[in-house]
This record gives sequence, C-alpha cells and structure tokens, in this order.
Amino acid sequence: MLTVSGLVAGYQTGSRVLNGLSFSIQPGEVVALIGRNGMGKSTFLKTLTGHLTASAGQIEFLGNDIFNAAPHDIANAGIGYVPQGREIFSDFSVEQNLLMGAIGKSGIRNAVPQWAYEPFPILDERRKQRAGTMSGGQQQQLAIMRALVGQPKLLLLDEPSEGIQPSIVQEIGQTLARISRDHSLTVLLVEQNLELVFAVAQRCLFMENGVIAEEVSDVSKLSNDSAIIHKYLSV
Amino acid sequence: MEFAVAITLDTVSFTLTLLLVTMGLVVIFGLMNVINMAHGEFFLIGAYTVVALQQVGAPFWTGLLVAPVILACVGLVLEELVIRHVYHRFIDTILATWGISIALKQSIIILFGPTSQSVVNPLPQPVDLLGVTYPSYRLLIMTISLGLAISTFLFFYRTHAGLAVRGVIANRMMAASLGINTRRMDRATFAFGAALAGFAGAVMAPIMSVDPQMGVGFLIPAFLSILVGGTSSLLGAVLGSGIIGTANTVVSSLWTQVAAQIVVFSLAIVLIRTFPEGLTGRKR
Repeated sequence: MLTVSGLVAGYQTGSRVLNGLSFSIQPGEVVALIGRNGMGKSTFLKTLTGHLTASAGQIEFLGNDIFNAAPHDIANAGIGYVPQGREIFSDFSVEQNLLMGAIGKSGIRNAVPQWAYEPFPILDERRKQRAGTMSGGQQQQLAIMRALVGQPKLLLLDEPSEGIQPSIVQEIGQTLARISRDHSLTVLLVEQNLELVFAVAQRCLFMENGVIAEEVSDVSKLSNDSAIIHKYLSV
Repeated sequence: MEFAVAITLDTVSFTLTLLLVTMGLVVIFGLMNVINMAHGEFFLIGAYTVVALQQVGAPFWTGLLVAPVILACVGLVLEELVIRHVYHRFIDTILATWGISIALKQSIIILFGPTSQSVVNPLPQPVDLLGVTYPSYRLLIMTISLGLAISTFLFFYRTHAGLAVRGVIANRMMAASLGINTRRMDRATFAFGAALAGFAGAVMAPIMSVDPQMGVGFLIPAFLSILVGGTSSLLGAVLGSGIIGTANTVVSSLWTQVAAQIVVFSLAIVLIRTFPEGLTGRKR
C-alpha cells in the first residue's frame, strides 16, 4: 500500500535527518514506528505528507507516485494525517473542525456524517463548543475524527498519546484498534508510549538515525523483550 | 439637526467604502501574510477604469462591473508573477508590493496624465431624506457597499468555502493536509481582494477627484483601520473602518481636512498604544 525507498530528507540548515529510509506497509496493517526523540520520526511524517521536500528517494502510495507531491494532493490520494500537537482549529467549533476534514476532499459530501460522532461521544455532546476550550485528550479525539471524516485509506498518527492523561490514551487505543479492525483501515502510528503500541499495532519498526534499524513482526512478542525496547527507547 | 443627518450619511458612506478596501487587505494579510502596498493602486485603477469608459462613451454603470473584473485579472497576474515568490518573506512582500504600486501609478500617469480627471455624476438629482437634501448617488454608494460588505461576511462565515479560507488563515499547514488547495485559495483571495478595491475605486470616482494620488489617500486610512481594528478577523476591519471613517468624516466636515488627518493619526496612535494587537486582537 505504502512503499518508501531510499528516502533522504532534512532541514535547510544542512542536517540530514532521513538517511535512505526504506519500508513498506500492507493494506489493513497497523504499524508502529518507534524511536527516541531526534531519530527522524516526525521528519519522516512531514516528508510523507508533503510539508518537507525530500532530496532523494521514492514514495509510492496505492500505485501513485507521491514523492514531493503537494500536501493537498497527498491528502486527496487518501492519506489522513493527525499531526503532533493535534493542530486543531481552536477558534472553530467541534463540528466545524470535523467539517474541515470533508471540505477539501474531492468525492466526499461537504457535511459531517453522523458516524463521525459515534467513536467518541464527547464530540457529539460538544458539537457547538469552541474546540480550543476542550482538554488535550478531547482535542486528540477530535483530530483523529477530523482525519477520518475525510475517509482516508491510510491514517498517520504522530505521538497521539503526548500530553494526554492515561485513561484517555487507553480509550483512544481501544477505539483505534476497533476502527482499524472493523473498517480494515491501514494505520501508521508514530509513538513512544508502548501501552498504545501494544493496544493498536501488529507490527513494529524501530527507527534510529534516519533509517529502520530493526523490525518486530509481532508486537505481542515485544512485551517480553525488554532488551530491544531499552535499545531503541530511553525507558 | 439637518447638519447632523448630513454628517451621519457622509460618515456611513465613507466608512462603508473604506470597509471594502480594508476587507481585501485583511484577508490577503491573514491568508498570505502579505502587506499589500499596492492595494491603493487597485483602488486607483478601479477609478480610472470608470474614467476610461467615460472617454469611450460607455455608460457609467458598466464601470461598476468592468472595474472589479479588470482588478481581479490584475490581482491574478500579480499574484502569479510576484507575490507567490515572496510571500514567505514578510519584509520582501512590503518592498515587492511597494514596487508594484509605483509601477502601476506611473503607468496610470503615462496613460492618463498627472492631472486630475472628473467623472460625471450619474445621478445628479438630489433627494430629500429626513429633511436633508442629499445627493442620491451617495445613497446608492451606501446601499451597494453595505450589500457587498454583508455578502462578503456571509461568504466567510456562512459558506463552506468561507470556512475553508478561515481554516487556511488559522492553520495553513493543517488545512493543506486536510486536502485544501492553499495555492488556489491564495490566488482566488488575492483576486477577490483586488476586485473589492477596484469596485470601491469605481464607485467613488464620481465623488472624488480622480488623480494618481487618490490610491494613497485611501490606502493610509485603510491601514490605520487594520491597525486599530486588528488583523485577526473581519470584525476588526469593521471596527477599524468605523472608527477611522467616522473620525475622518466628522472632523473634516466640522473643521478642515488637515485637522481631520491630525485627529485620525492621534486617535490611531492612542488606540494602538492601548491595544497593540488591535481592538479585536488577543492579548499576548
């Protein structure tokens, strides 16, 4: 579904963050991308979503070449993005935020479908509330549903557990697992919170210095393997 | 009493026209972070469109349609050729648009000469309103400008496209990742802002002296309105235009044009000192 090969990218200061990153994701898979801060996880997501220009490599998504394509074209190709820090529209209501997920997409009605309020009932209760006044966890739920309203084929999540209380992380984990199972949604989860990884992911990629250093194909085996976790995460 | 009514009507008509110019500036600044120094020349070209049409014998009313169309095209071309290359370099946008402004103004001087032109008032018959004999053309300006301002508001706050524009203003990167084509939106908005300014110029032509400096004469109060009202929303444009427009008209009709300038600038300084982010801006 998604094939990344030899991806090289970095920032204008000249630092190379991604050093020939290669991996692929199969349809319906939930893959976790794990690594310490500064190893290139967010840089990769910014490159994949078209916000950062890569200097070399290939990115293929559903048979389309999306290497260095414009962000709105990548979104319309079927990639939904839940960025780090959530990036909700804080002056808009919950409903308007969800509507923003539909407006830019071709082939989707410009309206918020009823199912968008079902996974997280708090969003239904607070439809008219200004999104900026909600808690971090509620904003995260909103950001996830905003991406899903656009009916993506691949959902990218950048540290969704960051700064959120554990009970809501758990709720988000269960809901994501259910949605990906029921709708065979492909998910790429960038995380440092292992609890969420265990709840959602099937396969796990460990990232170090801009490349995939190691791969664990069955996340359930990971919980007994503290050596590898220790190696790639500072825990 | 009659004097008060006349001043009120003058104030409202000036404020509404100022609002048309200011709204374009606010949206362009909000969306692209571009301070458009050439916006006054868009107003100027609008007025000269009416002059040109008058010279070829076309009825005045065609100018109200042709001017915004011409300015939309001018806006599109300038956005494509200049603005899009510099809009992430804030200071350069001021220089670049200032350059555009000089070039446009000099082109007007080459085409029409440096002296002022007059446009025949299309509705010379005054009407009686609340005991005041008032030029009917000014009443028409008010109606049209009010309608246009309300339509602009409805567009931005009641339509999906308007929500998308406000979304791009609030968070450009996220809006793009939700599938919104921000480039197309920049282009459309710049053209729309230019068209509004062009329309304002055309509509004001019969009651102003049409000369190459008239653009600056409108740009400065428009910028003051934005500074006073704040750049965060269109509401700021309304508040700012209201305050600057009222102060300007009232003082200049009670006293002199020069006194009006002094009062308006002093008022702006005090307001900006008290509300650095503008009246609608958030406190930092």
